[in-house]
Amino acid sequence: MINLAQKDVKYTLGKFLVTAMGVGMLLGIVLIMIGVYRGMMVDAEVLLDDIKADLWVVQEDTLGPFAEASRIHEDFRDTLRVIDGIQAAEALTFQNIQLPKKPKPVRAVVVGYDPFGSILPINQKRMVAGHWLNKDHYQIVVTDKTGFTLGDRIHLVRNDYTVVGVTHGTVSSGGDPLVYVSLKDAQDLQFSYTNNRIRSDRARGFRDTDAFMVNTIVGKIKPGYDVNAVAKEIRRFKHKSVYTAEEQKTILTKNLVERASKQIGMFTAILIAVSTIIIALIIYTMTLEKMKEISIMKLIGIPNSMIIKMIAQETLLLGFLAFVFGNIFSHLIYSKFPKRVVLLLPDAWILFIIVIIASILASLVGIRKVIKADPAAAIGG
Amino acid sequence: MNQKQAIKVENIVKHFGKDESLVRVIEDASFQVDKGELVALVAPSGAGKTTLLMMIGCVEEPTNGTVWLGDKKVYDNKWLTSEIRKIRREKIGFIFQAHYLIPFLNVIENVTLIPQTNGVPEKKANKKAMELLEYFGIAEKAYAMPSQLSGGQNQRVAIARALANDPQIILADEPTASLDIERSVSVVRLLKKIAQEQNVAIIMVTHDGRLLPYCNRVLKIEHRQVVM
Repeated sequence: MINLAQKDVKYTLGKFLVTAMGVGMLLGIVLIMIGVYRGMMVDAEVLLDDIKADLWVVQEDTLGPFAEASRIHEDFRDTLRVIDGIQAAEALTFQNIQLPKKPKPVRAVVVGYDPFGSILPINQKRMVAGHWLNKDHYQIVVTDKTGFTLGDRIHLVRNDYTVVGVTHGTVSSGGDPLVYVSLKDAQDLQFSYTNNRIRSDRARGFRDTDAFMVNTIVGKIKPGYDVNAVAKEIRRFKHKSVYTAEEQKTILTKNLVERASKQIGMFTAILIAVSTIIIALIIYTMTLEKMKEISIMKLIGIPNSMIIKMIAQETLLLGFLAFVFGNIFSHLIYSKFPKRVVLLLPDAWILFIIVIIASILASLVGIRKVIKADPAAAIGG
Repeated sequence: MNQKQAIKVENIVKHFGKDESLVRVIEDASFQVDKGELVALVAPSGAGKTTLLMMIGCVEEPTNGTVWLGDKKVYDNKWLTSEIRKIRREKIGFIFQAHYLIPFLNVIENVTLIPQTNGVPEKKANKKAMELLEYFGIAEKAYAMPSQLSGGQNQRVAIARALANDPQIILADEPTASLDIERSVSVVRLLKKIAQEQNVAIIMVTHDGRLLPYCNRVLKIEHRQVVM
């Protein structure tokens, strides 16, 4: 039996492939959008996962340090260390900074930590060169995305910092590259002012007290202790907001990233709808182009089922090829995006199912046209 | 019933529209075409030649009347079968003014499309198609696409397609309209030969009076009536 779809596709192969590529690029963008969403979720958790803290203590009644500004005294770390159930506690600072670089500066998030403390916020597996900080001053660990390499000197505010380590894949919840300096340097960068500003502040009677502030104190729990119980204790008596690792993750993924991810979700949904409409329009146009042949086939007695099969097969093939092209396209370009794009196989399968359903719906438009086609129209009635 | 009868039309009527927009195309037409006959159907433009042809071919539904194809009554004020497309596929061959081949099928696929749809195995259908293509002198073009053939060659493929399902009837709607007189005569002679050799009834719509001498009979539509 002659397969009409196979013959028709073979006859218009170039046009068919270009059409499939066009739809495929659209589907590729859909995959990238899903990948951007996944990337945001991964980025949001990188820092939390690297620090591996059980508790995050922040300024009272804030969602700090990522969702809201938080300032607490550095010495609260010592208070935390003596609370029953706390194994280790360290102070951390976070701030956005522009690293001077030609042709244009690099925006980054600086993490300040105590190089001699008991909690290292750098995941050792992410180190690709050098080492983490081993001095109190003027060392910096950068991520490779900043473009700096080992031994580079970076001038920040009043001092030069030497790159002693390079990491890969460390980004903030916003997707900016992470760099690490010592807590003292970070406090200097964050809370110290220029000489003119200090003189002006002193003239106004202000004291330079901010230099001993940090954004959060993170803690690790001793084995056998319930993290929620320890958090409750700190909340009750120390007038601080305390979040467990899970709660901090929720703040990041739900509060901070949710709106952005919803936005991307909306874009993705719209793109899928647009793709469906485009596939439907293409099939409709392809069917219209064949109306003369369809009328002739109906006139000479070819059953509707054979013609409908042709339209349905072509639509499904178009959808399948577009999906394949979309995957190739997205895998070719995803690494060029400035922020992390995570392409997952389950997402691709879900899109495949959506494309097939969309193709079936789209083919109905062409099939309706076929059923309505008047065989007498072939010869003008 | 006459054993030679291939087409019999009784009191057929065709109207389009209704009330004030009613257009009467055919009124009470009756005629018969026998197997082996080549009959010309002539009339001025817009007189209803193609409409009459399409009613015989089970494409256009008459308003009234009776249509017999061979020994089977297919229309008696309504279609008597739900499988009129199957009747077209199995009993009727169509030839049009243009070749109307399916452009994405090659010559042999165009010729074997209907037999294969009717359930004839591919090998057997191909063998029959090659015989027809040889008969029309275009066997070497069997695997060419219609776009690679001349107009005359395509028209011969279209005739081969019309014959591929061993039809009892061939309905030809101005098959020579786009040909010069020499080629037109050759096509009409070919149709007459087919009618005689394969015992097929052929109705050929034509405007060209020069072709009428080559036909067995002439039917005319005058004042919405079919006259001999």
